Amino acid sequence: MHNLLIFIRKEILPIQRDPRSLSIMILMPLAEILLIGFVMRFEIEHTNIAVYDMAKQHSSVQLIQRLEGGKRFSAKTVDSMEEAERLLKSNKVKAILRISPDFESKILNDNEPTLQLILDAIDPNTATTIEAYMNAVLNDYFRDQGMSYSPQLLKIDQLMYYNPMLKSVYGTVPGLISVILMLICALMTSVSLTREKEMGTLNVLLISPLKPIQIIIGKVIPYLLVSLVNIAVILVLAFTVFKMPLAGSLLLLILVSLLYCLCALALGFLISTKSQSQQVAMMVSLAGLMLPTTLLSGMIYPIKNMPMWLQGITYLMPARWFINILKHIMLKASPVSAFLPDIGILLLMTLVITAISLHNFKVRFK
Amino acid sequence: MQPFIKADEITKTYGQTLALDRVSFEVNQNEIFGFIGPDGAGKSTLFQIMTTLLIPDSGSGSINELDIAKNYKEIRSIIGYMPGRFSLYQDLTVAENLKFYANIFGTTIKANYELIKNIYDLLEPFSKRKAGDLSGGMKQKLALCCALIHQPKALFLDEPTTGVDPVSRTEFWDNLTQIKHLGIPIVVSTPYMDEAIRCDRVALIHKGRILKMDTPQKIIAEFSATVLSLSNIDKHQAREAIKNLEGIESIFAFGDSLHITVSKDNSSIIDNLRSTLSSIIPDYKLSEITPDFEDCFLQLMKEEQNV
Repeated sequence: MHNLLIFIRKEILPIQRDPRSLSIMILMPLAEILLIGFVMRFEIEHTNIAVYDMAKQHSSVQLIQRLEGGKRFSAKTVDSMEEAERLLKSNKVKAILRISPDFESKILNDNEPTLQLILDAIDPNTATTIEAYMNAVLNDYFRDQGMSYSPQLLKIDQLMYYNPMLKSVYGTVPGLISVILMLICALMTSVSLTREKEMGTLNVLLISPLKPIQIIIGKVIPYLLVSLVNIAVILVLAFTVFKMPLAGSLLLLILVSLLYCLCALALGFLISTKSQSQQVAMMVSLAGLMLPTTLLSGMIYPIKNMPMWLQGITYLMPARWFINILKHIMLKASPVSAFLPDIGILLLMTLVITAISLHNFKVRFK
Repeated sequence: MQPFIKADEITKTYGQTLALDRVSFEVNQNEIFGFIGPDGAGKSTLFQIMTTLLIPDSGSGSINELDIAKNYKEIRSIIGYMPGRFSLYQDLTVAENLKFYANIFGTTIKANYELIKNIYDLLEPFSKRKAGDLSGGMKQKLALCCALIHQPKALFLDEPTTGVDPVSRTEFWDNLTQIKHLGIPIVVSTPYMDEAIRCDRVALIHKGRILKMDTPQKIIAEFSATVLSLSNIDKHQAREAIKNLEGIESIFAFGDSLHITVSKDNSSIIDNLRSTLSSIIPDYKLSEITPDFEDCFLQLMKEEQNV
């Protein structure tokens, strides 16, 4: 324990002496979350859609008004499907909504009306978003009409319930938190450990009474402290700038984030056991962790849209589970039992990665 | 008395390259034992094996009767090791580095200050400077202090004077002699032949093999040939002219001159040499010199290659 404290002190000294590197460690995620958080929005505003109202009766007009009522859509009524398609092709509208002639009578008889939604899928993100907004508007409309069912045309996304405005930050902020923590923790540990290797200080450390585990824990704790500061900064931003709700417990949120950080630190440790230079460690951390975390965690691209084999890989992404837990805590205030399996998986991942790394950490060389 | 440090038939290969070939040696307490050899001779590999960092292919070794394979953990807490490259924390200050290395061995600078006093007095004015900003000689002195501060039972110094100016090198060797007198045996390696004379015993090592092992004085005394220095010449031209003469054992370039080794019984060889030279380089200068350590080493290397 005494040795451990000495080691931690040695790690912290240069960090606290060099305010530049410390501020980079804390300011970089800050800048990143602000930039990406503001840029990466999938919301749509005043999107042009063509409406081909074949019914032209009270209910259909009401529906169109409802569509235009929000700031999401600008409806352009057309008189033929040809005209609508021309607008779609010339990129004047992003979607076509076709209302069947028997719309009103079906509504009045509490029957299922027929609606057709054609989406321009050149940009799938926008298309999916339009689909989701449309879904929300229609749901509202039918509920107000006192109808007992939801339109079959569009399936209902459960998340919508907790994110009725379909704010994209609700999806991206948890993703951002996971990417930034992964970057800081894994990159910092892997580079710091490989530096000892590269500078030859690791060999000197090995020829001492220090145990390997003390070296590792001594490396991890200072960066865990930095991560804790980062978690605080990111959460404050999430709650203030991005107006993320916090439905569940803050303590739980922080504890889970710490677990995720530990997992990322273990990954950094694993990378360092396999890389001989700081450059390699940095490249592997960026390309091998950052990219997959961004792309495969469900942060930007929905996992359910991925091919099966890629979906299989997403199970190995700690961020996938962490994002899920974050959403549960921040948006839903679900009971712990709802995401206990995810916590279990993260914990298991951390233990397995640490075990492999310790096994790979050579104290004698061949 | 058992030798304090012992190595027996240590062999190590890297792929196809034989780095160490059945190396055996013994070091007693109160002894500075030097490994002298050019870069790539296998010195660092041997040091890493003796300090338990590297596992040899075969052979065994012990330090203070602790086996380098079985008792590597115990060995690690009783030896001081200074790797070939400067390996302290560049972003920590001189004092912080020293304190760190004292503390991880469970001791303090104060407790063992006597041990490093002579060396550290020179470093004291720079104690708040970052280790990375020190000069080469200062860095080596600091590294030596860090290797000494836990009062090790043996010191392994891998090329401690490489890249250090001649004055600092002399000071450094003075320090080693003081440490030796405290009863700490020192195993040291160097590519500088002139440092051999500062060791109590040396092993000449080349391509992973020990060519000769003895006191430096004995190695020079046993040198069974005459060394002639040939100067005021065009080195290439002279070498071409004399290289095939009978009785010439080796020719090595030393700065502006050539050192020519001939066998002891040599009056006819030297006459022959003089007549050959005067026909092509009239104003050459030829004189017999006392062989130094480098001549011995080069001669031994040459013999080794001829075997």
